[in-house]
Amino acid sequence: MPYRILDKKELAMNEVWYRIHAPHVAKKIQAGQFVIVRAFPTGERIPLTPIRWDREEGWIELVTFVRGKTTMKMANELKPGDEILNVAGPLGNPAPMKKYGRILAVGLITGMVEVFPIARALQELGNDVTTLHITPNPMVILKEDFEESVSRHIVEGFDLQEGWGMNEISQELAKRAVAKVRELLENEHFDMVLTVGPAGGQKAIFNVVKEYGIPMHADLHPIMVDATGMCGACRVTVGGEVKFACIDGPGFDAYKVDWDELIHRTGFYAPMEKLAMEHYLKGLQAQGGEQ
Amino acid sequence: MAVRRKIIKERVPTPERPPEERVKDFGEVNLGYTFELAVKEAERCLQCPYDYAPCIKGCPVHINIPGFISKLVEYRDNPDKAVKEALNVIWACNSLPATTGRVCPQEDQCEMNCVMGKVGDKINIGKLERFVADYAREKGIDEQLLLEIIPKIEKTGQGVAIIGAGPAGLTAAGELAKLGYDVTIYEALHEAGGVLMYGIPEFRLPKEIVEKEIDKLRKLGVRILTDHVVGRTVTIEELLEEYNAVFIGSGAGTPRLVNAPGINLNGIYTANEFLTRVNLMKAYKFPEYDTPVYVGKRVIVIGAGNTAMDAARSARRFGADVTIAYRRGEEDVSAREEEVEHAKEEGIKFEYFINPVEFIGDENGNVKAVKFEKMKALEERDKRGKRKIVGTGEYVTLEADTVIIAIGKHPNRLIINTPGLEVERGRIVVDENLMTSIPGVFAGGDAIRGEATVILAMGDGRRAAKAIHEYLTKKREGQNA
Repeated sequence: MPYRILDKKELAMNEVWYRIHAPHVAKKIQAGQFVIVRAFPTGERIPLTPIRWDREEGWIELVTFVRGKTTMKMANELKPGDEILNVAGPLGNPAPMKKYGRILAVGLITGMVEVFPIARALQELGNDVTTLHITPNPMVILKEDFEESVSRHIVEGFDLQEGWGMNEISQELAKRAVAKVRELLENEHFDMVLTVGPAGGQKAIFNVVKEYGIPMHADLHPIMVDATGMCGACRVTVGGEVKFACIDGPGFDAYKVDWDELIHRTGFYAPMEKLAMEHYLKGLQAQGGEQ
Repeated sequence: MAVRRKIIKERVPTPERPPEERVKDFGEVNLGYTFELAVKEAERCLQCPYDYAPCIKGCPVHINIPGFISKLVEYRDNPDKAVKEALNVIWACNSLPATTGRVCPQEDQCEMNCVMGKVGDKINIGKLERFVADYAREKGIDEQLLLEIIPKIEKTGQGVAIIGAGPAGLTAAGELAKLGYDVTIYEALHEAGGVLMYGIPEFRLPKEIVEKEIDKLRKLGVRILTDHVVGRTVTIEELLEEYNAVFIGSGAGTPRLVNAPGINLNGIYTANEFLTRVNLMKAYKFPEYDTPVYVGKRVIVIGAGNTAMDAARSARRFGADVTIAYRRGEEDVSAREEEVEHAKEEGIKFEYFINPVEFIGDENGNVKAVKFEKMKALEERDKRGKRKIVGTGEYVTLEADTVIIAIGKHPNRLIINTPGLEVERGRIVVDENLMTSIPGVFAGGDAIRGEATVILAMGDGRRAAKAIHEYLTKKREGQNA
């Protein structure tokens, strides 16, 4: 069932925004839930989180971080008016909505996309929400949207150094996150911390938060295939039990998550992901040669 | 009419690709009958009368088996006519014959009590059914037949929602469409077919064939909404507001995991994940297809059902050394004989009476070995008639860089958490008409049985369609009265 791309633009370096007609998702989705997208006939299924939706007009908005073959191919080849093949959802459980008081919501790079609907809904519910975006400077996104929606929005940006790959960026993210979160928790009172981002960065933040004993809710990003609970690719250990993030999560109590296991599992396909990317780039070069 | 024929004891064989060739690809293993071979096999059938024929009783959807077989012989001089007539007989009971002819365990069903078995080989009913469907598809005969059937359908003006486009849902949909209902299937994945698409591998059931059989249902007017996850996108309560009845055919999609330390190490797949990557996402064509799958040099598959055979034989096609580890003995294996034979021919090893107790990983969190406890069988039998097993306290460790868990599945939690839906041990409870505890909501297939077979699911789909028809007919009459 194809879904039309109503609009598309580049928000920042490697950050692409899409508005997609998907009325079945728009009608039902709540903050904290996600969709599975398959864009091409030979494509894979990837989980993405809508930042906004319009139940009447039937659209959802997605932001992708161009970090591998599928997201790059989407960025390169899809135009407004095109159709993507599948948008399944909404999936996962809605984020628990209640009055916590003062909330610190942290997003690492594109994780900020997932923070947005949850932080906005929590603020609307009467919470006092501070959002913190830790990201390379060229990838700052949704700044105005956050400023309009929550009490306070902080951008902790850093410049990219020459020769940095994802490993170096991840290390810098974790380092910055630890310093900034510690500074905030040291000087202010928070009742709850919410995080979204790569597992390594979330774990680093958790290690700071637990020193202060503040409740922490983490949105996890394990590998997913069907995201309806039928395969267990996304399994995580929470409180000593095996959980499927797609139907039991994606949000979990950070104190109960086996972070090291999650970090190992998310990196499993890295060599094949690289291979897929090289295969795609080779194909592009070959096309370039023919023209 | 019945003519006394000479008894031909031996079954006409179907050609198969040799193991050393087929193990290098995902192409179909069995090549099926030609028309000539099919007629030769059809001639062996003794044509038991309809009311007696044990084969019909053994078929969960009660296809008139001697009826369709006789058409092949009767019109042997006109193959197109023969196939069209035979298909017409099959379609009265079964909309997916190319699929069932391939994947049914015929030895336990239609062929089990075939009278010919008393004097020789049983009739190869599955392969004959498959031949009719394949020939019809290749020649466009199924399309012609469909065009003849469609105008005869009288619309009832009522709508039925079906949850899940697997064998149960597809069968119910086909039957209800023929009875004049507007049918909409809600399917969570991006392709219809359920286990036929994600579970059973290409070398047993080519996906193109499933897609074409499903396309025929679409031509009958069945609407299929993919990407719709009932329980999330829409609830059963909402479906009941929009439709006159609902059928739940959501299957048993949630994998059972081994409860042992190390289960979340990298390289340990559930069979569902492994097979979904390979079959539905075509990971065997990576990087032409984008979905990756990792198959190491040594693969251990845990379990010995059909799913385990499918996973093992798929892994073998990536060039791996594959061992099936089963906690019981050879005689307890539940997979089809044909599949076990094929697996052995393809070089898959079997280890019996070992039960996993720990998955051992390396420093990167990747699995490198599985520790098993050796088991032994007792004389005592369990409820299913299988010998009980106990641990011996002795252990053995086998190296593996990929482990596939194929020890069974549960019905999906998203469905069974519906308020008011009575569930027992994770399975939906139904009455003798397959109606659930919610009036107007019916269920069948693995959602009520746990993990069973394609054809039992199809049998449920057909029975449920009849029950839904009766239920809605009564309602219509009630309104008119």
